[in-house]
Amino acid sequence: MRKSSRGDFVFSADRLIRLVVEEGLNQLPYTECTVTTPTGHKYEGVRFEKGNCGVSIMRSGEAMEQGLRDCCRSIRIGKILIQSDEETQRAKVYYAKFPPDIYRRKVLLMYPILSTGNTVIEAVKVLVEHGVQPSVTILLSLFSTPHNDSRPLPSLQSVIILLSLFSTPHGAKSIIQEFPEITILTTEVHPVAPTHFGQKYFGTD
Amino acid sequence: MGGQFSRLPLGPAPRRRTASQCQPEPPLLRTSKRTIYTAGRPPWYSETGAPVDEAFVIGLCGGSASGKTTVATRIIEALDVPWVVLLSMDSFYKVLDEGQQALAARSDYNFDHPDAFDFELLVSVLRKLKKGKSVKVPVYDFTTHSRRREWKTVYGANVIVFEGILAFANKELLKLLDMKVFVDTDSDIRLVRRLQRDIMERGRDIVGVIKQYQKFVKPAFEQYIEPTVQVADIVVPRGGENSVALDLIVQHVHSQLEKREITVRAALASAHQGQPLPKTLSVLENTPQVRGMHTIIRNKDTTRDEFIFYSKRLMRLLIEHALSFLPLKSVTVETPQGTMYEGKRFHRQRITGVSILRAGETMEQALTAVCKDIRLGKILIQTNLDTGEPELHYLRLPKEISEDYVILMDSTVSTGAAAMMAVRVLLDHDVQEDRIFLLSLLMAEMGVHSVAYAFPRVRIITTAVDKRINEEFHIIPGIGNFGDRYFGTDGPSAWCESDGMDC
Repeated sequence: MRKSSRGDFVFSADRLIRLVVEEGLNQLPYTECTVTTPTGHKYEGVRFEKGNCGVSIMRSGEAMEQGLRDCCRSIRIGKILIQSDEETQRAKVYYAKFPPDIYRRKVLLMYPILSTGNTVIEAVKVLVEHGVQPSVTILLSLFSTPHNDSRPLPSLQSVIILLSLFSTPHGAKSIIQEFPEITILTTEVHPVAPTHFGQKYFGTD
Repeated sequence: MGGQFSRLPLGPAPRRRTASQCQPEPPLLRTSKRTIYTAGRPPWYSETGAPVDEAFVIGLCGGSASGKTTVATRIIEALDVPWVVLLSMDSFYKVLDEGQQALAARSDYNFDHPDAFDFELLVSVLRKLKKGKSVKVPVYDFTTHSRRREWKTVYGANVIVFEGILAFANKELLKLLDMKVFVDTDSDIRLVRRLQRDIMERGRDIVGVIKQYQKFVKPAFEQYIEPTVQVADIVVPRGGENSVALDLIVQHVHSQLEKREITVRAALASAHQGQPLPKTLSVLENTPQVRGMHTIIRNKDTTRDEFIFYSKRLMRLLIEHALSFLPLKSVTVETPQGTMYEGKRFHRQRITGVSILRAGETMEQALTAVCKDIRLGKILIQTNLDTGEPELHYLRLPKEISEDYVILMDSTVSTGAAAMMAVRVLLDHDVQEDRIFLLSLLMAEMGVHSVAYAFPRVRIITTAVDKRINEEFHIIPGIGNFGDRYFGTDGPSAWCESDGMDC
């Protein structure tokens, strides 16, 4: 909403981020196990496997890091800085820093607003260059445009998870076309992307 | 007070308490037959959740300065049971208009006549209080002869002591009194006391006091007060010094209270086995992460650090889930791009959080993280290890919660006895039943049934339901004692335990 104060905006965004992060973690692989409770009885539970990491696409993706940290205290987080080239309007990678063994990890890729999808496509390309398989990436976003609302369940091969808050239909579609094995989790798919997210969250508008 | 009641010795008593050691032992009274009351308020409702007994009302009547207040205080001291309320007729004087104020200033207003009291309000307040409801009592200001703006809230009485000069002067009022005591003190003594009080303590002049006595106090006593001695059950001559009469009164009240002892937990344990779970129950979706968190917090070998971290994460999900049950209204907002967005908004009154101490308090943080500026209330309920019954020890609720949605939090619910008491308290404060959400990390089927049977409109929201409970009312397989594990009060551990920097 246009009139929301920055405090309200950040508060609500953080609540959504937390929920999308929890959902992203649900996609990770786990094994069955049994534990003993303090009453001495058995409980049939599950245990999640190690070897995950988060990657945020700067700058707005960094807004989601705290939400991930709140759920996974010591998870490793890599960063990619991507900006549009002023002349060609193409997304260009300026900087990338990952844990050295990222090629064998499952990746939660964080980018709140999915509009055209170009930025995410560039980011996944960088991940692939570092040896990550697109199938092990989960994209977390808050918003997505309608074409990318397919939610493939995690198979052993899908290890990039994109976390985002919003997505446009077009953006999601183009990502899936480029990398069909990626899992995208988002809280809303709508044709008009709230592109002001970064400015409003960080207060630079 | 004779040999009928005696305090238990504190030394080698077989009581076992799990609470902190620095707390003094609660007062424990014993009749010739058995132990009756301790510091907390035992259940005042049955397993159906409805109040069983009304409060026991003792009416104290007597002329001005006859020693009613002294008798009332002595009775309360000697009863030594918790949750006794003293209600004075003085609070119910009518508000005076300007003309009456002028009369009062000249000692020409009759404060001893039945017309000076607001009997309508008095009867309605006493009736509500007797039914166990929370009431507001006016505070009368004798200098301005009006009611103060802030009224006093009174709640949770097992025994009400009601005193006043015209306590027996109204038929409706008489119906509410379970025991009527007339304090009969010689009129000379009363006049002497009155002179002493009004001149020395209230700074009035002797002419005015005598004038008021002759014109109003004496005639009113003879016309309205003295004849009501006929309806009294007990007449106490010489007021507060009469220890024999006081003993009789106290004994009678004790025997009445003993008859009313209610055992809720035992009744809960036998009922509703094998029934299908109620519709008001909502269990959080059992996703892999939820199962993973349960695995960690249920494991007896989990460190406290991890236990706290993962139970907090689970609470956050529980609260987000609970909020999805609030009624929403469609709204359209304008986005910064100038387009319209169809959204939803919570449109009712406030949400208030109420935690059942100690373990329910751990959920407050998750609630405040999700609901900004939420008001929080607290209820302390502990199990009396002698009777096995829950007891209400402490209560602090935000004002005017009757229209609010209330999120009632307890970490675990086993028999449901404490949760039921808390719901009953909320209902006594006029919260609407379908606006109470009971939230818990883990519940036993029995607790779900007990609460749903007693309060079919309360929404029950949890992250998991376990089948059984054991003889000690622990949930099986369960989670252990949540509060002990969270706060680290679970028995001795290795001193050099790796608590990192925060030991």
